[in-house]
Amino acid sequence: MVHLTINGTRVQATEGEMLLTVIRRMGIDIPALCHHEAVEPFGACRLCLVEITKDSWNGWKGYVTSCLYPVENDLIVNTHADKVIEARKTLIDLQLARCPNSPEIQQLAAQFGINRTSYEPKVDGDNCILCGLCTRICDQMGFAAISTVERGHGRRIAPPLDQPPPDCVGCLACALNCPTHVIPFTQAGDRRTIWEKDFELITCSRCGRKTITREFATALSKMRGIPESYFELCDACHREDTAQGMGRIAAWSRREEKAS
Amino acid sequence: MTHRFIVTPNLCIGCRTCELACSFRHSVNGKPGQTRIFALPGPVREMWVPVTCLQCEDAACAKSCLVDAISRNEQTGAMEIDQDKCVKCMACVAACPFGCSVHDQQHNMIVKCDLCGGEPVCAQFCPTKALVYQPVDMPKPKVVA
Repeated sequence: MVHLTINGTRVQATEGEMLLTVIRRMGIDIPALCHHEAVEPFGACRLCLVEITKDSWNGWKGYVTSCLYPVENDLIVNTHADKVIEARKTLIDLQLARCPNSPEIQQLAAQFGINRTSYEPKVDGDNCILCGLCTRICDQMGFAAISTVERGHGRRIAPPLDQPPPDCVGCLACALNCPTHVIPFTQAGDRRTIWEKDFELITCSRCGRKTITREFATALSKMRGIPESYFELCDACHREDTAQGMGRIAAWSRREEKAS
Repeated sequence: MTHRFIVTPNLCIGCRTCELACSFRHSVNGKPGQTRIFALPGPVREMWVPVTCLQCEDAACAKSCLVDAISRNEQTGAMEIDQDKCVKCMACVAACPFGCSVHDQQHNMIVKCDLCGGEPVCAQFCPTKALVYQPVDMPKPKVVA
């Protein structure tokens, strides 16, 4: 157990935990765009910046991204110090310059009182903040279908060689978890298209509802040994079957009880 | 694990109070959530079966979760979804052979029965004891024919 002080409150934390996790658990609201508990912290957006100090540091203060800073004994953390707010404002101002049309970034900027970026807004850009959350989630799930390509100004997220990615299973985890919802996908009937790759959605053989993609189901069976027959029905039809099965057992036990 | 959750379909009258209780217990910001228990018609006339997570030993939901967001709460014995870790890929919804991992469309999250952290409200509200949550050494509720 580690003991530290956050905004004047003494708190306990487990060794190895990151500051941001502890701060969020306390219900303190600090922004973070690239953070997700499912993946290793990355520190791309820098918005979770906090001020840290210790009594033994003789007044020295440090500014660190809390998602990447492991908890330490006797650490004194200030999540809303003036300098921290100022730094966060600059950061969100820069994000707004990069993605002037992103509703999520606009909303966040508005919370900091920024309605227009003080830098030159990018005209031809998309709304991607290049935090790499999509690629990290894809890697974590074991597919690694997309990655960041090129360096510097040209840096972007793309499948290999800008071709439909062979390793993508169309699970949509990248698109659904993107902080600025910038990854396009379409879904109509039993087809789903993402990263320009076309997928067939499994149709429930009883009610016709669409579930996950055929490729995702195959991958799950291969990676985790789940029988492919599990994926033939949708969840509602599975429940119906469960009710029928449990009901038959109940009817049998009622007959047994009456007989005895 | 000190308690067990017992479902007795022969006592269920299909009033669906359990569904309501569950929905309200799992409200998010005042909005009722998706129920994790479903009172469904059984194979015989006038028979109802409350279907909810069986907290399987070798659970398909946990196996299918590629980010390991589903794990067992050792205190209650329930398989729980860590909402912060969930990436909403729907793998568990598709993989559960009992259909007890569901997508809450209202709040856009994947949900399943977590035994309310050790005091399931469905059992508290069930008027006929079709659902009970009791110490393991207590006898099962009797069905009076």
